[in-house]
Amino acid sequence: MIKERRYHIKTTDKEILKKWYGLMTLGRALDDRAPNYLKQAIGWSYHAPYAGHDGIQLAIGQTFDKDHDHLFPYYRDMLTTLSAGLTANEIVLNGISKATDVAGGGRHMSNHFAKPEWNIHNSSSCTGNHPLQGVGTARAFKRYGVKGVVITSQGESSVSEGYVYEAINGASNEKLPVLFVFQDNGYGISVPKKDQTANRKVANNFSGFKNLKIFHCNGKDVFDSMNTMAEAKEYIEKNGTPAIVHANCVRIHSHSNSDRHELYRDDYEMNYVLAYDPLAKYRRLLIRYKRFTEEELLEIESQTKEIVKEAHKHGMAAPDPDPNSIYDFVIPEAYVSEKYPEGLHDFKGEPKKLIEGLNETLKAEFRHNPDTFIWGQDMANKEKGGIFNVSKGLQQEFGPERVFNAPIAEDFILGTANGMSRFSQKIRIVVEGAEFADYFWPAMEQLVDTSHDYWRSNGQFSPNITVRLASGGYIGGGLYHSQTIEGTLTTFPGIRVVYPSYADDAAGLLRTSMRSKGVTLFLEPKALYNSPKAAAPIPDDFEVPFGKAKVRKTGSDLSMITYGNTTHMCVEAAEKLEKEQGLSVEVIDLRSLSPLDEEAILATAKKTGKVLVVHEDKVFGGFGGEIAALVTEKAFEYLDAPVKRVGSPYTPVGFNRILEKAILPNTDRIVAAAIDLINY
Amino acid sequence: MKKIAIIYSFNTVKTSKIAEKIKDAFSSEDVDMVNAENITPEVFASYNNLILGVPTWFDGELPNYWDEFIPDLEDLDLKGKKIAIFGLGDQVNYGENFVDGLGIMATIIEECGGTVVGYTSTEGYRFEASQAQRRNQFAGLAIDYENQGTKNKERVAAWVEQLRKEFN
Repeated sequence: MIKERRYHIKTTDKEILKKWYGLMTLGRALDDRAPNYLKQAIGWSYHAPYAGHDGIQLAIGQTFDKDHDHLFPYYRDMLTTLSAGLTANEIVLNGISKATDVAGGGRHMSNHFAKPEWNIHNSSSCTGNHPLQGVGTARAFKRYGVKGVVITSQGESSVSEGYVYEAINGASNEKLPVLFVFQDNGYGISVPKKDQTANRKVANNFSGFKNLKIFHCNGKDVFDSMNTMAEAKEYIEKNGTPAIVHANCVRIHSHSNSDRHELYRDDYEMNYVLAYDPLAKYRRLLIRYKRFTEEELLEIESQTKEIVKEAHKHGMAAPDPDPNSIYDFVIPEAYVSEKYPEGLHDFKGEPKKLIEGLNETLKAEFRHNPDTFIWGQDMANKEKGGIFNVSKGLQQEFGPERVFNAPIAEDFILGTANGMSRFSQKIRIVVEGAEFADYFWPAMEQLVDTSHDYWRSNGQFSPNITVRLASGGYIGGGLYHSQTIEGTLTTFPGIRVVYPSYADDAAGLLRTSMRSKGVTLFLEPKALYNSPKAAAPIPDDFEVPFGKAKVRKTGSDLSMITYGNTTHMCVEAAEKLEKEQGLSVEVIDLRSLSPLDEEAILATAKKTGKVLVVHEDKVFGGFGGEIAALVTEKAFEYLDAPVKRVGSPYTPVGFNRILEKAILPNTDRIVAAAIDLINY
Repeated sequence: MKKIAIIYSFNTVKTSKIAEKIKDAFSSEDVDMVNAENITPEVFASYNNLILGVPTWFDGELPNYWDEFIPDLEDLDLKGKKIAIFGLGDQVNYGENFVDGLGIMATIIEECGGTVVGYTSTEGYRFEASQAQRRNQFAGLAIDYENQGTKNKERVAAWVEQLRKEFN
């Protein structure tokens, strides 16, 4: 009378039961041994023990098919990854952060198990942010029409994070093959579920989402977990829509080795979670139902001990990372322009507006590379093409599979771009990161995470994304509409930041961004989209390499170093100073902020001896501080005056035009500062 | 009335107390107390009138000692057996899965051909959801020591009277 179940203690093949017991005892032996490495000061200083999650973790790994699926584990998923195919050696190498750690060569935290070559992704420690990436990967599955399921795994407390809702909403809305697994052990470190959300069965928070099936299982029970995972995967494969598996687990130990659960759990609770030990239960079942003898199980346990000993020996003998390697894989290689190595041209055609330059380059690159996609808020609805119509006509030409709207969820926009990149390194993604650059902040956690993906995976994964952001003021936009954010963006290693001022450079930098690996923050001075002064002739195939400044005007008395909106003001100021004061002013348009053209900056500083750094952003904390410091450090002997800066005061940008004018720099202020500097 | 087995874990505290109360309410010679920790299909099958003590663990699960017996139980033909279940739960703190264990066990018993007896009204309880609920009844006796402990005595007494009529 056994109900139809794929896996059952009485009917499952003995070899399978044996494999599971081997994995479970191996996992537990490693889990139990991990704290010893810290005690002996060898490593594994972050260890989140999984004991109590054994059933569901075994099942996730066994359900994962590395030839078709992608797996996004979290920091407690030791058995998950072992069960998915990692070896004990690989677990230990990650734990003690060796150079041969397959997750990332010891660069990422311990207990962050991964194997990118098998699509077991190197996930962040940021709780619950990888489901957004999983949704992006699943979008690629659907776009490319491939078989497979994306499995993301997370603790139940992660549903307190807003971006988890964004991820599940996106999978539900786009009907994507994602299996979200919630491993529920009742605690977010020491915070009990009742302080996280009103539903004890947290998956039920999502019960109103369409196209989403919710399964519940006992994550401490091997068979219930295996059957539920198999059922959920089959459901997704059949329907193409997402599912949640909510697995009840217990946490037998503390959250991690920096937590002491005896401070908030009483003896009764610690005893009953121990009574629930899934490994002990599985062992009892194997004996009770006479599938194995005691001797047979002891033999497996003995083999496990040997494997762990060997893994320990192997790990201890493995090489440490080389301290000289820290600069490897900070940022993936950029596209190299053969025709325009300096990003200069002498094309004499009809000048085009900056917005035209962007629009035509987008279209040209979409024709050039069929693996190019673009999305964002307001991206495509009939004649509307982008927030400022930069992407006008793209959807009509390239279709809704490649050009499409995103929900108003900046973190979702970027997180899914990261995830879609993971499907294939051929893919190039452009996103409008937010309606306006200063609305980009909700995406910052994904940006930060994305910025170190390449480094922490030891060069195994590069997110290939161009993030376009309509930036800056001079439009009377006020807060969230008129600020510029490069001062923050340039603090992150691993991403590029470019800020063109003219149509040709905008086109050339966009082409380079879209052909490069890695992430480029492409800041567009929106006040210049349709401005005649930013218009320029643009060769059809123009390319501007990263880190190449352009001399907008040559001079010998003073250097202005600038970018974005203020480039035009500097050119005007220079002309005025020349005409009215007889001064020879050089204007350097940086074009790229990161990487920065140090050579051009130092050359002009040495040439004129007087440097005025000009940008729209606040002087305090603005990017100009880096330029001033660079010049002071490396060209001090050449200076005839302190480096001076012009920018906004340390205030927000006001909405009323009178306030905006009082805050943002202008030509007159630049002229006045230049005269001060000349007279120093 | 044929012999009754009350099967529950002897390691429990509250479930054991209720089991004792039930035994006392029947005349003792009619009842065998059986430890669920060591239950075998043979012992289970040897009774036609059974009372099972099934508390709910965590967010709506069977205790291990029952859960590990289920594969054997599912192989039994329970046709002709009358089985009553009492379950312990906490309707305030675990209102989303109040006495779920009772309901899970009742479903299995019915799937195996057994007759679940001893249904009781849900009136007087306040909870969000329960797998033990069948319309406006529980598929057995729901005991809430934490919040309604004073009602245990009368609930047990009434239930035993009901079982006397419903058992073989």
